[in-house]
Amino acid sequence: MDVNNLKQSHKLLVEYKYEPAKLERGYTNKTLYINVGENRIESKDVPDSMKEKFIGGKGYGLKYLWDATSPETKWNDPENEIVIAGGPLCGITQYPGAGKSLVVTISPMTNIPIDSNVGGYFGPYLKFSGWDALEIQGKSQKDVIIYIDGNNGVIKVEEAPLEAIDGHVISEQLTEMYADSEEDKKNISVISAGTAADHANIGLLNFSFYDMRRKVARLKQAGRGGIGRVFRDKKIKAIVIKFKGTKGDLNKPANQSLINKAGIKLHKQIHDYDDVQCRMRQIGTANIIEVMDEYDLLPTHNYQYGGHPDTHKISSNVFVEKYITQGMPDGCWYGCSLSCAKAADHFELKTGPYKGHKVTIDGPEYENAAGLGSNCGIFDPEMILEGNFYCDTYGVDTISFGTICAFAMECYERGIIDKEVTGGLDLRFGNAEAQMELLHQMSRGEGFGALIGLGVRQLKEIFVKEHGADADFLNDIGMEQKGLEVSEYLPKESLAQQGGYGLTNKGPQHDEAWLIFMDMVNNQIPTFEDKAEALHYFPMFRTWFGLMGLCKLPWNDTTPPDNHLTDEPAKMPEHVQHYVNIYNGVTGMNIDKNQLILQSERVYNFQRIFNIRRGKGLRQHDAMPYRSMGPVTIEEYESRQERYDNQLRELLDYDPEGKTTEEKIKVMREYRVSQYEQLTDAVYKRRGWTPNGVPTAEHLRKIGMDLPELIDVIEKHI
Amino acid sequence: MIKVNSKDFEWEEGLTVQVLLDKKKYTFPKIFVTINGKHIDKEDFDTTLINDGDDVKVVHLLAGG
Amino acid sequence: MKILVKKDDLCIGCGVCEEVCSTAYFKENNIEKSCIQVEKGEAKKINVCNQCGACIDICPVMVINRSTNGVVRISKKECVGCFMCVGFCPESAMRQHDDYIEPFKCIACGLCAKECPTGAIAVEDIEIETKEKL
Repeated sequence: MDVNNLKQSHKLLVEYKYEPAKLERGYTNKTLYINVGENRIESKDVPDSMKEKFIGGKGYGLKYLWDATSPETKWNDPENEIVIAGGPLCGITQYPGAGKSLVVTISPMTNIPIDSNVGGYFGPYLKFSGWDALEIQGKSQKDVIIYIDGNNGVIKVEEAPLEAIDGHVISEQLTEMYADSEEDKKNISVISAGTAADHANIGLLNFSFYDMRRKVARLKQAGRGGIGRVFRDKKIKAIVIKFKGTKGDLNKPANQSLINKAGIKLHKQIHDYDDVQCRMRQIGTANIIEVMDEYDLLPTHNYQYGGHPDTHKISSNVFVEKYITQGMPDGCWYGCSLSCAKAADHFELKTGPYKGHKVTIDGPEYENAAGLGSNCGIFDPEMILEGNFYCDTYGVDTISFGTICAFAMECYERGIIDKEVTGGLDLRFGNAEAQMELLHQMSRGEGFGALIGLGVRQLKEIFVKEHGADADFLNDIGMEQKGLEVSEYLPKESLAQQGGYGLTNKGPQHDEAWLIFMDMVNNQIPTFEDKAEALHYFPMFRTWFGLMGLCKLPWNDTTPPDNHLTDEPAKMPEHVQHYVNIYNGVTGMNIDKNQLILQSERVYNFQRIFNIRRGKGLRQHDAMPYRSMGPVTIEEYESRQERYDNQLRELLDYDPEGKTTEEKIKVMREYRVSQYEQLTDAVYKRRGWTPNGVPTAEHLRKIGMDLPELIDVIEKHI
Repeated sequence: MIKVNSKDFEWEEGLTVQVLLDKKKYTFPKIFVTINGKHIDKEDFDTTLINDGDDVKVVHLLAGG
Repeated sequence: MKILVKKDDLCIGCGVCEEVCSTAYFKENNIEKSCIQVEKGEAKKINVCNQCGACIDICPVMVINRSTNGVVRISKKECVGCFMCVGFCPESAMRQHDDYIEPFKCIACGLCAKECPTGAIAVEDIEIETKEKL
C-alpha cells in the first residue's frame, strides 16, 4: 500500500509538544483537550475531588461533558464533546478484559449522554502516552486527522483530504502510514467511523488493534448511540495514537502481586473450563444464538417471537465450522485469555463497493447475528457476515440497524408502508438483499436507507405524518426507548429484564442488567423487592466496569468451578473479589465490594441527573414499548396461546375459555403494564429516587454526591 | 408433582435429572442442579432419580448478555 | 530438539536442581525462582517444561519462539507480561514470580542435570516425532 501520497497531502493545522506525564497507581492525573474548531490543544490537571467522585472512564467522560455543555446543547453544536477515557485499571495486562475505552457524548439518537464501552488498543496507549482522558470539542471546517505520538510527546491536527472514510480502509492506511515497520504496527491504534456515519444518526466508532498473526488491523466498535455521527459532524476522519514499549507494569501499580495472582488464577480457570462453559475462545458471544432460540428469547420478526425453525442455519457451530478462525490470542487487549474476538478470514464480499474483495470480518457477535439475522427473519450466515462487515466499515451500529430494519420490515409486511415509500425495495422479512441495499444507501445518504439511519423514533413520526400510520400501533411495535433501539433480547416473559432495559440511563441496552435467566427461568427474584434489589445491584456493579476501563465478559462468561456453592452464585463472588483485589493492587486503596458499588452509585446518579438536566430522565422516559412487555398482535398471542392462557388463569384468575384473542390481549396488557409500573415504583425506591425517578437530596448526601450543581437540578423536580 | 424452580411440575415414574432437563428444554451449558438442597454432579444427571414431591432447582448461571 | 527428560522414580527431592537453576538465572537460592520444581511429598514429581510449545500460540505479541535447537524461548524485552502463557501451560511449567514482570521457563541448559546426584534428570537431543510419542 502506498500511503506517501496520502501523507504528503496532509496540512498541519496545529502542533503541541508535551512531556508525557508519569503514570502512578493507574493514573497520570492529566487529561488532553483538543478543540478541532479552534485548533487549540491543552493539558488539564485532574483535581483530587474529580478523581474521588468520578473515578475514571465514563465517570470522567460524563463530568467533562457536563462542564462543557449547557442543558440546551444539541448533539451537533460545536460545544458537544466526545470524551474518551480508560480508567485506573485500563492498560493492565494480567487480568482479562482490561483494555477498554469509554466514550461519551450527547447522542444524536437520544439527546442525552450516551456511553459506549469499546476494546482495541487506544485506551491503554492513551494512558501510556500520559493522558487519563481525551476531550474533543469544536467542529472543523475540513476533514482532519488527530495524531498522538505518546513516546515523543507530540500531538498534531492535520487536514487530511485523501484518506478513505470507511473504517476498514482508513485503519489500514493509517496503521501503515504511522508505523515504522511491520513490527511497529502493533503500537498503532486508530479511531475511525465510516461513510454512513456522515449521514446516519446510528453512526459508530471503530477502534483498531493490529493483529500480528493475520497481519491486519482489526476493528472493535463503540456502537451504541451515534457517537460516530458526532465524530464525522466534527469532520474528524481519524484519531491515531502511537505508543511503543508496552510492558506489564506501566500503570505503576501499588501492588503488582495482587494483580498477578488474580490474573493467573483466571487464566487457568479459562484454560480449564471455557471449552465446556461458554466457548468464548471458540466462538465468543455468538455461543448463545441457539441458546436464546431454545429459551424463546431470540428476537425474531421484530421481537414478535422468541425463536424460529431456521435458527439452526445461523447457530454458532455454523460459523465455527465454515467461516471463523479463532483460538489464537484473539483478545482485543493484551492478557485477555477469554479472547472472544474472532474473524472470518478471506471472506469474499458479494455486494456493494467492495464486491469481490476478500476481507477479514470481525464477528459475528451474538447481537449481530440476532439483529441482522433472526430479528429481520434472515437466516443466511453469509449475509449476516456481509451485513456485519458493511455495518462496521460504514460505521453503523448493528444493533440499532437490525432493530430499525426489523421495524421497517414489519411495517412493510403489514401494509403500513409500501414500495413507493421504500423506493421499490421489497422489504419482506428474510429479504437479505434488500437489507444490504438499505445499508449501501445509508452509506451514500440516499433513498430509504438514509431514513433508516435516523432510527425508529424518527421513522415512527414520518410514517404517522406522511403515510397515515396509526401512532399507537407504531409506538407499541417500535422497539426504542429514549430514542435508542432495544438490543437483541426478547424480554416479554421477564419483568425484571423489562426493567433491565427500561430503567436505564442511556436507553435500552443490556449492559446495565441482564436478568432473564435469574428471573424467568430460575425464578430467583420472584417479588418486586427481589427484582428491585437485582435492578439496583447489577446496574451499579456493571457501571463499575465503565469507570475502570474493563470489559464485563470475564466477570460472567467464565465461572469458577465451585461458584455454585457460594452464597450468591449469580454475582460470581470470586470474580468480584478479583476485581476488588486488582483495584486495590493498582491504586493502593483498600476498598471492599460494598465500596465498589458506592463508586458506581455516585456516577450512576450523576448520569441520571444529567438526563434530568436535559429534560429527560424522569418516569415518563422510562416507559417501554408494549412489544417488549407482551403480545401486541393476535398472531403473537396465538403463537404462544397455551402459555398466555395459563398465565391468565394462574396470575389473574381469569377464565380465557370462550374469550376472543382481542379480549385476552387487553386483559393481559392491563396486567403486564401494571406489573411494570409496580416494578418501577420498587426500583426507584431501592435506588433512592422519588416516584418520578428523581434522586433525592438525602440519597445524594448518603452516597457523598450532594454536589451543588446536582442539587440545583433536582430541586426543580422535588 | 414436584417443584422445579419453585413452580409445579408433573412428576412421572423414572424421572431423572437429565430427563427433566430435556423436558424443560434446559440446554444451557452453565447450569447447576440441586434436589432438596443437595447438589447433583453433572456426571450423575443421567442416573439421579427425582422422587415425587422433590424440590428441584435448576439454576442457569448467566447474569449478563 | 533439546529437552530436559525426567525420571520421577529416581528423584530423591534433594533440591539441588532448584538451587542450581535459581542461582544460575536469578543469583538467588529460591525454589520459587527455579524453572525446574519438584513436588515434595511421598511420590516426587518433577515439574519442568517439555518444550511442547503450546505457549508459542498463546503469546499475544509473538515473543515466545522455538529456537533452532528446538528449545522454546521467551524474548523478555518485548514481553508484555500478561502471564497468559503461565495460565495456559499444559504442564504448569511456565513460571512467574512477582519480582519480575516477565515469565520464565526451562531452556534445557542442563546445568541442573549435571548436579543431579541420582540421574533423575538429563538433557537429551530427541527427534520431534519421538517427542510427540512421549
